[in-house]
Amino acid sequence: MHDFASFLPLVITCAGALLLMLYAVCPKAEQEKASLMSMGFFAVAFFAQLLVVCTVSRSVFPETFNGLLGVSSFTNAACLIIYACGFFTTLSSHTYFRENHFATVEFYSLLLFSAVGMVLLSMARELITAFIALEIMSLAIYILVGFNRASSRATEALFKYFILGAFSGAFFCMGTAMIYGAAGSTRFESIAEWLAFNPATTPLMLGGAFFLLITIFFKISAFPFHAWVLDVYDGSSNPITGFMATALKTAAFALIANFLALSGNLHDSWITGLFWIAVFTMFGGNLIAIGQDNIKRMIAASGIVHSGYLLIALVAINSEHFSGAVIAYYLAAYSVATLGMFAALSWLGGEGEKRVNFDDFKGLAKRQPLAAATITIFLLSMAGIPPTAGFMGKFYIITSAITAGQIALGVLGIISSILSMWYYLRLIVSMYFHDAEEDFVVNGTSLASISTVALAIGTFAIGLFPLVL
Amino acid sequence: MFESALTVMIFLPIVAGALILLCPAKGAARIIGFFVSLIVLMIGVQLFIDFDGQAGMQFVYSTPWISSLGISFGLGVDGISLLVLLTSAVLFPLVFCVLKEQSRNFYANLLLCQGAMIGAICATDLVVFYIFWELMLVPIFFTIGLYGGPGRLPATLKITIYTIAGSLLMLVGIIYVASCYHQQFGVWTFNMARLSALSLSGGFAGWAFLMFMIAFAIKIPIFPFHTWLPDAYTEAPPATSFVLSAIMAKIGVYGMIRFVLPFFAPEFISWATFFLFLGIIGMIYCGIAAIGQKDIKRMLAFSSASHMGVIAIGVCAMNVQSLTGSLFQIAAHATSTGVLFLFVGLMEERLKTRNIDALGGLAYRAPIFATFFAVAMLASVGLPGTSGFIGEFLIILGTVKYSMFLGLLTGFTLIVGVCYMLWMFQRVFYEKESETTTRFTDLTAGEAFSFLPVMILIFVMGIFPQLFISKIEPAVQQQIAQLYAPAQQQVVTNEISVTDK
Repeated sequence: MHDFASFLPLVITCAGALLLMLYAVCPKAEQEKASLMSMGFFAVAFFAQLLVVCTVSRSVFPETFNGLLGVSSFTNAACLIIYACGFFTTLSSHTYFRENHFATVEFYSLLLFSAVGMVLLSMARELITAFIALEIMSLAIYILVGFNRASSRATEALFKYFILGAFSGAFFCMGTAMIYGAAGSTRFESIAEWLAFNPATTPLMLGGAFFLLITIFFKISAFPFHAWVLDVYDGSSNPITGFMATALKTAAFALIANFLALSGNLHDSWITGLFWIAVFTMFGGNLIAIGQDNIKRMIAASGIVHSGYLLIALVAINSEHFSGAVIAYYLAAYSVATLGMFAALSWLGGEGEKRVNFDDFKGLAKRQPLAAATITIFLLSMAGIPPTAGFMGKFYIITSAITAGQIALGVLGIISSILSMWYYLRLIVSMYFHDAEEDFVVNGTSLASISTVALAIGTFAIGLFPLVL
Repeated sequence: MFESALTVMIFLPIVAGALILLCPAKGAARIIGFFVSLIVLMIGVQLFIDFDGQAGMQFVYSTPWISSLGISFGLGVDGISLLVLLTSAVLFPLVFCVLKEQSRNFYANLLLCQGAMIGAICATDLVVFYIFWELMLVPIFFTIGLYGGPGRLPATLKITIYTIAGSLLMLVGIIYVASCYHQQFGVWTFNMARLSALSLSGGFAGWAFLMFMIAFAIKIPIFPFHTWLPDAYTEAPPATSFVLSAIMAKIGVYGMIRFVLPFFAPEFISWATFFLFLGIIGMIYCGIAAIGQKDIKRMLAFSSASHMGVIAIGVCAMNVQSLTGSLFQIAAHATSTGVLFLFVGLMEERLKTRNIDALGGLAYRAPIFATFFAVAMLASVGLPGTSGFIGEFLIILGTVKYSMFLGLLTGFTLIVGVCYMLWMFQRVFYEKESETTTRFTDLTAGEAFSFLPVMILIFVMGIFPQLFISKIEPAVQQQIAQLYAPAQQQVVTNEISVTDK
């Protein structure tokens, strides 16, 4: 029964996705209603998950379905983040599609499907399950990216993402096959047993892990697989960009953390590689972000930088008593701020996303003080200024790096966040210190504005009461 | 004094600031701000009176916050922080009284800034300190950016990025210190008193020391980290320049004494002469730069930096006299140079110019203003009988004890300060009356009445310094004793109280 309880949120999401798909066939289907329904499904799933976290004892079912899926406090946290991301994404979409008219009911169904894939991915304890979850997630996301069929930029984004994604999926298969060749199993448990007696540097194991890492690095846009991220984020619609940047990253990081925490043996053999990838991801991302004039592209690039910080946490994980709390906390902090940014962009972006450059937001503080204040809070959180969640996240990551003896990595992380100050401050400067050129008229109160405020409060709440740890 | 006095001092301004931001009434902001700062002042003065002059923390308040890392929300005051705290509590009402900036956002930012600064001064936990330390920059960023002069954008970006760079590096240092403690004792803690058991040197500790030092050196600022200062002080609105120069710079000095001295005693001792030299170079450099300025505010900015150099020298000389002098001078500098920024703000409000060449003969037009200005200025150059003299005297005494040559050098360098100040005074207040100055009106009764307490304070501090020094000396003695004590001994004394191992 507890088994079932742990998966109840997943079942709810899945059922929601299917129901919405059925609802789409119904001739009177309206996308506005569908958005409210999917909001409801995400909310129910979130609270069910919260109930699971609070009631079901953590260590009772480390593995279920014969070791295909596993539940731990880390996966619970990841699922919570994913459901919350889904919820706030539907809120922003609801507002976004008032001004932009290309949504259909399927949009929300696909959103739920992709969340199903993400949740499965974060819980996967077996490589083929992980692959299937990855594909459920990716297929839904591909369609969502290219949902605006009238826009050539969206089509371009879809193609770039789809072709590269297909490649990375193939790499994942290849990696799985090689690991199977080495360890004789695709189950994490058996791989861990095999690694206890064999070095992780045998060619097959090394190659297999290498291919798996490539796939994940592609999904989290780590260096050198980050080139797609600007165009794809820029081309997709605001809510979807936010969803990709947060929920998808959460799922991918959950998988890779679970995998690397399998055995110290495996983790140790990748420390040097991860170290350099983290460094290049942070600094490469910063270099790209500094040059951007478009806010979406800037946030895309800053997402690369945040992946770099998370990679620091990956370098520092301790497979002996792995809790993933640092990673989960940072993901939560990052997700809140990023979702907030995209909710605000959905709210203020206007028809056809006409306001998207730094200059378009000049003087926002004079016309829409609340919006400007919330955006400022999100930016400060991303920059890691206390007392926001972003600061605590960064604090935990640097602490974990230094505790793990990776002082150099901690220092480089901090230097990278100094560099990142520039582009976060730049938006604040143009919102506050310039005169308004337009009046930013927004019709009525929208759900995105509510979610913006809620997320801004969340930024402080998570920062001041870090319950996860 | 009631138990949560410090908490009230921190959060009353912050909450009031947030409320002002939210409430739409326009005129109320200034009055609310004034009364809030008055309450903080009264608590501050009462704390000062109740402070019993022993070493060690008083008015302690602590509640656990993040237990897995041993972080607690801890507050307390001791002799090191007493005068800094008093300064930041006492001088704030002046800002609300004197200047006529109308926007409520401005007052809200000032209040937030005061709360954050008091928080940074009172924090006994490093993480709490860091949070407030970063937080106090945010209002500065907004006040300069929104209400500053024509060159405000580059100025505000410069100060923000510069100081954030320094403090982020310090964050690494903070975590490193805590993790060293964790390695040695197996417990996570960010409590200052317990971390003082460490006396780190060698290896990465050298870098961590520099990270702390650079963060504080930027805030103070010590040459060559002062380059943000002239622009920021000049472009900022007068109230912000006052806050920056009178209080925020002092928190840098305070941080140096509080954190660097105990944590990195061996490193600090070996680097002290180097930083002392930097202090002297800064004094001379900024002094000479001040002579050449045409803008009074810019001149004051350089003068402030130059005098901060003296305070830093006092810390680097590492003995009881010089450290006491530095702590005393913190308050003295705030009442003199800090207040001068307000006077210049008034002058600018009335004349719309700060150019020294355009001014002249103000003393004939405005005798009260000229007298007050002269008192603050003479205190700033260290005339005997004023507050500035005691601090500078103690610092030079201590520095001579440390090294005869450096002490004499410091003493002679102070003369530069006298030169530019008196020359400026002559050109602005005497000589021929210029066309612009005929518009000048003297201080109103209200303004004069607001400044009067500060003027009295300058003389009280100069004539009865013992009132203040007796309260801070025991803490200073302990700090210096700890600096030179062998590390082992401290570990024993500090670790007796560890219970949650």
